[in-house]
Amino acid sequence: MDDAANSGISEPLDLVKLSLGERVFIKLRGDRTVTGVLHAYDAHMNVVLSQVEETIHIVDVTEDGNPLPPRIEKRNLEMLFVRGDGVILISPTQQ
Amino acid sequence: MNIKIQDSTHSTRYIDIYITQRTFDASQLFIMLIFSFFKTLTDQVITVELKNDLSITGTLKSVDQFLNIRLDGISVEDPERHPHMLAVKNCFIRGSVVRYVRMAARSVDTTLLEDATRREAKEAKK
Amino acid sequence: MDALIPFTTSGSLVDLVDKKVLVVLRDGRKLIGVFRSYDQFANFLLEQCIERIHFKFEYADKDIGVLLVRGENVVALGEIDLIAEDMVPLQQVSWSQVEEKINEDNKRRERDHTIKDKVLGSMGFVNDGREGDAY
Repeated sequence: MDDAANSGISEPLDLVKLSLGERVFIKLRGDRTVTGVLHAYDAHMNVVLSQVEETIHIVDVTEDGNPLPPRIEKRNLEMLFVRGDGVILISPTQQ
Repeated sequence: MNIKIQDSTHSTRYIDIYITQRTFDASQLFIMLIFSFFKTLTDQVITVELKNDLSITGTLKSVDQFLNIRLDGISVEDPERHPHMLAVKNCFIRGSVVRYVRMAARSVDTTLLEDATRREAKEAKK
Repeated sequence: MDALIPFTTSGSLVDLVDKKVLVVLRDGRKLIGVFRSYDQFANFLLEQCIERIHFKFEYADKDIGVLLVRGENVVALGEIDLIAEDMVPLQQVSWSQVEEKINEDNKRRERDHTIKDKVLGSMGFVNDGREGDAY
Protein backbone atom coordinates (compact mmCIF):
# COMPACT_ATOMS: atom_id res chain seq x y z
CA MET A 1 0.00 0.00 0.00
CA ASP A 2 2.78 2.38 0.99
CA ASP A 3 4.80 1.41 -2.03
CA ALA A 4 1.88 2.11 -4.25
CA ALA A 5 1.39 5.51 -2.65
CA ASN A 6 5.07 6.38 -3.01
CA SER A 7 5.24 5.53 -6.67
CA GLY A 8 2.04 7.54 -7.16
CA ILE A 9 0.09 4.56 -8.45
CA SER A 10 -3.33 4.24 -6.92
CA GLU A 11 -5.92 4.34 -9.68
CA PRO A 12 -6.45 2.84 -13.15
CA LEU A 13 -5.51 5.96 -15.09
CA ASP A 14 -2.04 5.88 -13.50
CA LEU A 15 -1.22 3.10 -15.95
CA VAL A 16 -2.01 5.55 -18.71
CA LYS A 17 0.17 8.18 -17.05
CA LEU A 18 3.13 5.79 -17.11
CA SER A 19 2.61 5.43 -20.86
CA LEU A 20 3.02 9.14 -21.64
CA GLY A 21 5.55 9.45 -24.43
CA GLU A 22 5.24 5.74 -25.20
CA ARG A 23 3.38 3.86 -27.89
CA VAL A 24 -0.02 2.60 -26.77
CA PHE A 25 -2.69 0.37 -28.27
CA ILE A 26 -6.29 1.56 -28.01
CA LYS A 27 -9.39 -0.43 -28.86
CA LEU A 28 -12.33 1.71 -29.91
CA ARG A 29 -16.00 1.38 -30.69
CA GLY A 30 -16.89 1.02 -34.35
CA ASP A 31 -14.60 -1.97 -35.09
CA ARG A 32 -11.47 0.17 -34.83
CA THR A 33 -8.12 -0.02 -33.13
CA VAL A 34 -5.35 2.56 -33.08
CA THR A 35 -1.73 2.58 -31.99
CA GLY A 36 0.21 5.77 -31.45
CA VAL A 37 2.55 7.67 -29.16
CA LEU A 38 0.56 9.03 -26.20
CA HIS A 39 0.99 12.73 -25.46
CA ALA A 40 -2.07 13.64 -23.38
CA TYR A 41 -5.09 12.11 -21.67
CA ASP A 42 -7.76 13.19 -19.21
CA ALA A 43 -10.29 11.68 -16.84
CA HIS A 44 -12.70 10.97 -19.73
CA MET A 45 -9.98 8.99 -21.53
CA ASN A 46 -9.80 11.62 -24.22
CA VAL A 47 -6.32 11.10 -25.66
CA VAL A 48 -3.90 12.83 -28.02
CA LEU A 49 -1.63 10.55 -30.07
CA SER A 50 1.02 11.04 -32.72
CA GLN A 51 2.43 8.69 -35.40
CA VAL A 52 -0.93 6.96 -35.41
CA GLU A 53 -1.86 3.82 -37.27
CA GLU A 54 -5.59 3.21 -37.34
CA THR A 55 -7.01 -0.20 -38.24
CA ILE A 56 -10.64 -0.63 -39.28
CA HIS A 57 -12.14 -4.10 -39.49
CA ILE A 58 -14.60 -4.46 -42.33
CA VAL A 59 -16.89 -7.28 -43.42
CA ASP A 60 -18.25 -6.98 -46.96
CA VAL A 61 -21.44 -8.79 -47.82
CA THR A 62 -22.15 -10.24 -51.26
CA GLU A 63 -25.35 -9.61 -53.25
CA ASP A 64 -26.89 -12.87 -52.05
CA GLY A 65 -26.14 -12.13 -48.39
CA ASN A 66 -22.97 -14.07 -47.69
CA PRO A 67 -20.18 -12.46 -45.63
CA LEU A 68 -16.73 -12.25 -47.23
CA PRO A 69 -13.76 -12.92 -44.94
CA PRO A 70 -13.08 -9.87 -42.71
CA ARG A 71 -10.58 -7.44 -44.18
CA ILE A 72 -8.73 -4.58 -42.56
CA GLU A 73 -8.17 -1.06 -43.75
CA LYS A 74 -5.20 0.85 -42.36
CA ARG A 75 -4.66 4.58 -42.18
CA ASN A 76 -1.66 6.57 -40.97
CA LEU A 77 -2.24 9.93 -39.28
CA GLU A 78 0.45 12.20 -37.90
CA MET A 79 -1.51 13.70 -34.99
CA LEU A 80 -4.87 12.60 -33.65
CA PHE A 81 -7.26 13.47 -30.84
CA VAL A 82 -9.51 10.55 -29.85
CA ARG A 83 -12.67 11.32 -27.88
CA GLY A 84 -12.87 9.31 -24.66
CA ASP A 85 -16.41 7.99 -25.05
CA GLY A 86 -15.28 5.76 -27.94
CA VAL A 87 -12.46 4.14 -25.98
CA ILE A 88 -12.89 0.53 -24.89
CA LEU A 89 -9.38 -0.16 -23.60
CA ILE A 90 -5.91 1.34 -23.48
CA SER A 91 -2.85 -0.87 -23.29
CA PRO A 92 0.89 -0.23 -23.37
CA THR A 93 2.29 -1.96 -26.45
CA GLN A 94 4.98 -4.56 -26.03
CA GLN A 95 8.14 -3.31 -27.68
CA MET B 1 -18.13 16.81 3.74
CA ASN B 2 -18.43 19.05 6.73
CA ILE B 3 -20.96 21.83 6.34
CA LYS B 4 -21.04 24.31 9.18
CA ILE B 5 -22.99 27.49 8.90
CA GLN B 6 -21.52 29.33 11.78
CA ASP B 7 -20.15 32.21 9.81
CA SER B 8 -22.77 34.15 7.94
CA THR B 9 -20.45 36.36 5.89
CA HIS B 10 -20.73 35.58 2.23
CA SER B 11 -17.05 35.62 1.44
CA THR B 12 -16.12 32.94 3.96
CA ARG B 13 -18.93 30.68 2.86
CA TYR B 14 -18.06 31.14 -0.78
CA ILE B 15 -14.45 30.15 -0.18
CA ASP B 16 -15.57 27.09 1.79
CA ILE B 17 -17.78 25.93 -1.00
CA TYR B 18 -15.13 26.64 -3.59
CA ILE B 19 -12.49 24.63 -1.76
CA THR B 20 -14.90 21.78 -1.15
CA GLN B 21 -15.75 21.64 -4.82
CA ARG B 22 -12.12 21.70 -5.80
CA THR B 23 -11.29 18.69 -3.64
CA PHE B 24 -14.56 16.94 -4.26
CA ASP B 25 -14.53 17.23 -8.01
CA ALA B 26 -10.86 17.20 -8.81
CA SER B 27 -11.53 16.04 -12.35
CA GLN B 28 -12.91 19.51 -13.02
CA LEU B 29 -9.35 20.70 -13.28
CA PHE B 30 -8.43 17.79 -15.50
CA ILE B 31 -11.13 18.71 -18.00
CA MET B 32 -9.30 21.93 -18.69
CA LEU B 33 -6.32 20.14 -20.24
CA ILE B 34 -7.93 19.00 -23.49
CA PHE B 35 -10.00 22.18 -23.68
CA SER B 36 -6.79 24.25 -23.43
CA PHE B 37 -5.14 21.98 -25.97
CA PHE B 38 -7.90 22.73 -28.47
CA LYS B 39 -7.65 26.43 -27.78
CA THR B 40 -4.01 26.32 -28.89
CA LEU B 41 -5.25 24.92 -32.23
CA THR B 42 -7.47 27.95 -32.92
CA ASP B 43 -7.05 29.25 -36.51
CA GLN B 44 -5.38 26.00 -37.61
CA VAL B 45 -6.87 23.72 -40.23
CA ILE B 46 -8.17 20.52 -38.64
CA THR B 47 -10.32 17.60 -39.74
CA VAL B 48 -13.13 16.51 -37.45
CA GLU B 49 -14.32 12.95 -37.97
CA LEU B 50 -17.80 12.31 -36.58
CA LYS B 51 -19.23 9.06 -35.28
CA ASN B 52 -21.48 8.89 -38.38
CA ASP B 53 -18.29 8.72 -40.54
CA LEU B 54 -18.71 12.28 -41.84
CA SER B 55 -15.31 14.04 -41.99
CA ILE B 56 -15.28 17.83 -42.05
CA THR B 57 -12.13 19.83 -42.72
CA GLY B 58 -12.00 23.51 -41.82
CA THR B 59 -10.34 26.25 -39.82
CA LEU B 60 -10.95 25.95 -36.07
CA LYS B 61 -12.76 29.10 -35.01
CA SER B 62 -13.70 28.31 -31.43
CA VAL B 63 -14.09 25.54 -28.89
CA ASP B 64 -15.86 25.40 -25.52
CA GLN B 65 -15.66 23.26 -22.37
CA PHE B 66 -17.85 20.52 -23.89
CA LEU B 67 -15.40 20.41 -26.81
CA ASN B 68 -18.12 21.72 -29.12
CA ILE B 69 -16.30 22.98 -32.20
CA ARG B 70 -16.87 25.84 -34.65
CA LEU B 71 -15.29 25.37 -38.09
CA ASP B 72 -15.02 27.92 -40.88
CA GLY B 73 -14.47 27.39 -44.60
CA ILE B 74 -15.42 23.76 -44.42
CA SER B 75 -15.16 20.98 -46.96
CA VAL B 76 -16.50 17.45 -46.64
CA GLU B 77 -14.78 14.22 -47.59
CA ASP B 78 -16.96 12.16 -49.90
CA PRO B 79 -19.62 14.79 -50.73
CA GLU B 80 -21.63 12.22 -52.68
CA ARG B 81 -22.48 10.46 -49.42
CA HIS B 82 -23.25 13.78 -47.70
CA PRO B 83 -24.91 15.98 -50.36
CA HIS B 84 -26.66 18.10 -47.71
CA MET B 85 -23.32 19.62 -46.70
CA LEU B 86 -22.59 21.09 -50.16
CA ALA B 87 -24.08 24.52 -49.42
CA VAL B 88 -22.72 24.72 -45.86
CA LYS B 89 -19.67 26.91 -45.46
CA ASN B 90 -19.24 27.09 -41.69
CA CYS B 91 -20.56 24.87 -38.95
CA PHE B 92 -20.95 24.06 -35.27
CA ILE B 93 -20.26 20.47 -34.24
CA ARG B 94 -21.54 19.13 -30.92
CA GLY B 95 -18.61 17.75 -28.93
CA SER B 96 -20.35 14.52 -28.05
CA VAL B 97 -20.59 13.35 -31.68
CA VAL B 98 -16.87 13.64 -32.43
CA ARG B 99 -14.86 10.45 -32.94
CA TYR B 100 -11.49 11.93 -33.92
CA VAL B 101 -9.89 15.27 -34.59
CA ARG B 102 -6.95 15.06 -37.00
CA MET B 103 -4.33 17.80 -37.16
CA ALA B 104 -0.83 18.52 -38.44
CA ALA B 105 1.98 17.30 -36.19
CA ARG B 106 3.69 20.68 -36.35
CA SER B 107 0.72 22.40 -34.69
CA VAL B 108 1.34 20.47 -31.46
CA ASP B 109 4.21 20.85 -29.00
CA THR B 110 4.25 17.28 -27.67
CA THR B 111 6.78 17.88 -24.87
CA LEU B 112 4.74 20.73 -23.50
CA LEU B 113 1.58 18.67 -23.76
CA GLU B 114 3.06 15.72 -21.87
CA ASP B 115 4.33 18.00 -19.11
CA ALA B 116 0.92 19.63 -18.80
CA THR B 117 -0.75 16.21 -18.62
CA ARG B 118 1.58 15.06 -15.81
CA ARG B 119 0.97 18.29 -13.94
CA GLU B 120 -2.80 18.09 -14.28
CA ALA B 121 -2.83 14.42 -13.29
CA LYS B 122 -0.88 15.29 -10.15
CA GLU B 123 -3.16 18.23 -9.33
CA ALA B 124 -6.27 16.14 -9.83
CA LYS B 125 -5.08 13.64 -7.23
CA LYS B 126 -4.67 16.18 -4.43
CA MET C 1 -12.67 32.01 -9.39
CA ASP C 2 -10.11 32.49 -12.17
CA ALA C 3 -10.44 28.84 -13.07
CA LEU C 4 -14.10 29.38 -13.89
CA ILE C 5 -13.66 32.26 -16.28
CA PRO C 6 -12.49 30.26 -19.33
CA PHE C 7 -15.76 28.32 -19.18
CA THR C 8 -17.97 29.70 -21.89
CA THR C 9 -21.33 28.49 -23.14
CA SER C 10 -22.11 26.64 -26.35
CA GLY C 11 -19.30 27.93 -28.51
CA SER C 12 -20.34 31.26 -29.89
CA LEU C 13 -23.40 30.71 -31.99
CA VAL C 14 -24.65 34.25 -31.65
CA ASP C 15 -23.53 35.15 -35.19
CA LEU C 16 -25.73 32.38 -36.62
CA VAL C 17 -28.95 33.70 -35.09
CA ASP C 18 -31.56 34.62 -37.76
CA LYS C 19 -29.52 32.81 -40.45
CA LYS C 20 -30.72 29.94 -42.61
CA VAL C 21 -29.18 26.82 -41.15
CA LEU C 22 -29.00 23.07 -41.61
CA VAL C 23 -29.26 20.91 -38.48
CA VAL C 24 -28.15 17.28 -38.66
CA LEU C 25 -29.65 14.98 -36.01
CA ARG C 26 -28.27 11.77 -34.54
CA ASP C 27 -30.74 9.58 -36.42
CA GLY C 28 -29.48 11.08 -39.68
CA ARG C 29 -32.38 13.49 -40.19
CA LYS C 30 -31.64 16.84 -41.80
CA LEU C 31 -33.62 19.93 -40.85
CA ILE C 32 -33.43 23.30 -42.56
CA GLY C 33 -34.83 26.44 -40.97
CA VAL C 34 -34.19 29.87 -39.60
CA PHE C 35 -32.04 29.70 -36.45
CA ARG C 36 -33.80 31.79 -33.80
CA SER C 37 -32.41 30.79 -30.41
CA TYR C 38 -30.09 28.41 -28.55
CA ASP C 39 -28.69 27.71 -25.08
CA GLN C 40 -25.68 26.11 -23.38
CA PHE C 41 -26.98 22.56 -24.03
CA ALA C 42 -27.13 23.26 -27.77
CA ASN C 43 -30.92 23.17 -27.66
CA PHE C 44 -31.99 24.95 -30.85
CA LEU C 45 -35.14 26.80 -31.83
CA LEU C 46 -35.84 26.70 -35.57
CA GLU C 47 -38.53 28.61 -37.43
CA GLN C 48 -39.97 27.90 -40.92
CA CYS C 49 -38.48 24.48 -40.59
CA ILE C 50 -38.45 21.77 -43.25
CA GLU C 51 -37.19 18.22 -43.15
CA ARG C 52 -35.09 17.27 -46.16
CA ILE C 53 -34.30 13.75 -47.34
CA HIS C 54 -31.59 12.94 -49.85
CA PHE C 55 -30.80 10.09 -52.15
CA LYS C 56 -27.53 10.72 -53.96
CA PHE C 57 -28.14 14.04 -55.72
CA GLU C 58 -31.93 14.02 -55.48
CA TYR C 59 -33.81 15.52 -52.55
CA ALA C 60 -37.32 16.20 -51.24
CA ASP C 61 -38.72 18.55 -48.58
CA LYS C 62 -41.53 18.40 -46.02
CA ASP C 63 -42.84 21.39 -44.04
CA ILE C 64 -42.63 21.14 -40.27
CA GLY C 65 -43.02 24.70 -38.92
CA VAL C 66 -41.52 25.77 -35.60
CA LEU C 67 -39.26 23.27 -33.88
CA LEU C 68 -37.37 23.07 -30.60
CA VAL C 69 -34.58 20.53 -30.98
CA ARG C 70 -33.19 19.00 -27.79
CA GLY C 71 -29.41 19.40 -27.73
CA GLU C 72 -28.46 15.78 -27.12
CA ASN C 73 -29.93 14.85 -30.52
CA VAL C 74 -27.87 17.39 -32.42
CA VAL C 75 -24.86 16.31 -34.48
CA ALA C 76 -24.05 19.56 -36.26
CA LEU C 77 -25.40 22.94 -37.18
CA GLY C 78 -24.25 24.57 -40.41
CA GLU C 79 -24.92 27.95 -41.87
CA ILE C 80 -26.27 27.65 -45.41
CA ASP C 81 -24.43 29.85 -47.86
CA LEU C 82 -27.25 31.35 -49.91
CA ILE C 83 -25.10 31.83 -52.99
CA ALA C 84 -23.60 28.35 -52.86
CA GLU C 85 -27.07 26.92 -52.30
CA ASP C 86 -28.18 28.05 -55.76
CA MET C 87 -25.16 26.45 -57.43
CA VAL C 88 -25.42 23.06 -55.77
CA PRO C 89 -26.15 20.34 -58.36
CA LEU C 90 -29.09 18.88 -56.46
CA GLN C 91 -32.44 18.08 -58.04
CA GLN C 92 -35.77 18.29 -56.23
CA VAL C 93 -38.18 15.40 -56.76
CA SER C 94 -41.28 14.19 -54.93
CA TRP C 95 -41.06 12.97 -51.32
CA SER C 96 -42.37 9.48 -52.10
CA GLN C 97 -39.84 9.06 -54.90
CA VAL C 98 -36.88 9.69 -52.61
CA GLU C 99 -38.43 7.78 -49.71
CA GLU C 100 -38.85 4.69 -51.85
CA LYS C 101 -35.21 4.67 -52.90
CA ILE C 102 -34.03 5.25 -49.33
CA ASN C 103 -36.15 2.40 -47.99
CA GLU C 104 -34.78 0.01 -50.58
CA ASP C 105 -31.24 1.07 -49.72
CA ASN C 106 -31.91 0.70 -45.99
CA LYS C 107 -33.25 -2.80 -46.38
CA ARG C 108 -30.01 -3.94 -48.00
CA ARG C 109 -27.92 -2.06 -45.43
CA GLU C 110 -29.89 -3.51 -42.52
CA ARG C 111 -29.31 -7.02 -43.80
CA ASP C 112 -25.59 -6.46 -44.38
CA HIS C 113 -25.25 -4.88 -40.94
CA THR C 114 -26.76 -7.91 -39.20
CA ILE C 115 -24.41 -10.24 -41.06
CA LYS C 116 -21.42 -8.01 -40.34
CA ASP C 117 -22.24 -7.86 -36.63
CA LYS C 118 -22.33 -11.64 -36.43
CA VAL C 119 -18.88 -12.01 -38.01
CA LEU C 120 -17.15 -9.18 -36.11
CA GLY C 121 -18.96 -10.07 -32.88
CA SER C 122 -17.26 -13.46 -32.97
CA MET C 123 -13.91 -11.64 -33.25
CA GLY C 124 -14.52 -9.67 -30.04
CA PHE C 125 -15.85 -6.43 -31.42
CA VAL C 126 -18.69 -4.59 -29.77
CA ASN C 127 -22.00 -4.61 -31.57
CA ASP C 128 -22.44 -0.96 -32.40
CA GLY C 129 -26.07 -0.88 -33.45
CA ARG C 130 -27.41 1.31 -36.23
CA GLU C 131 -26.97 4.94 -37.18
CA GLY C 132 -27.65 7.06 -34.15
CA ASP C 133 -26.68 4.35 -31.67
CA ALA C 134 -22.98 5.02 -32.17
CA TYR C 135 -23.28 8.30 -30.30
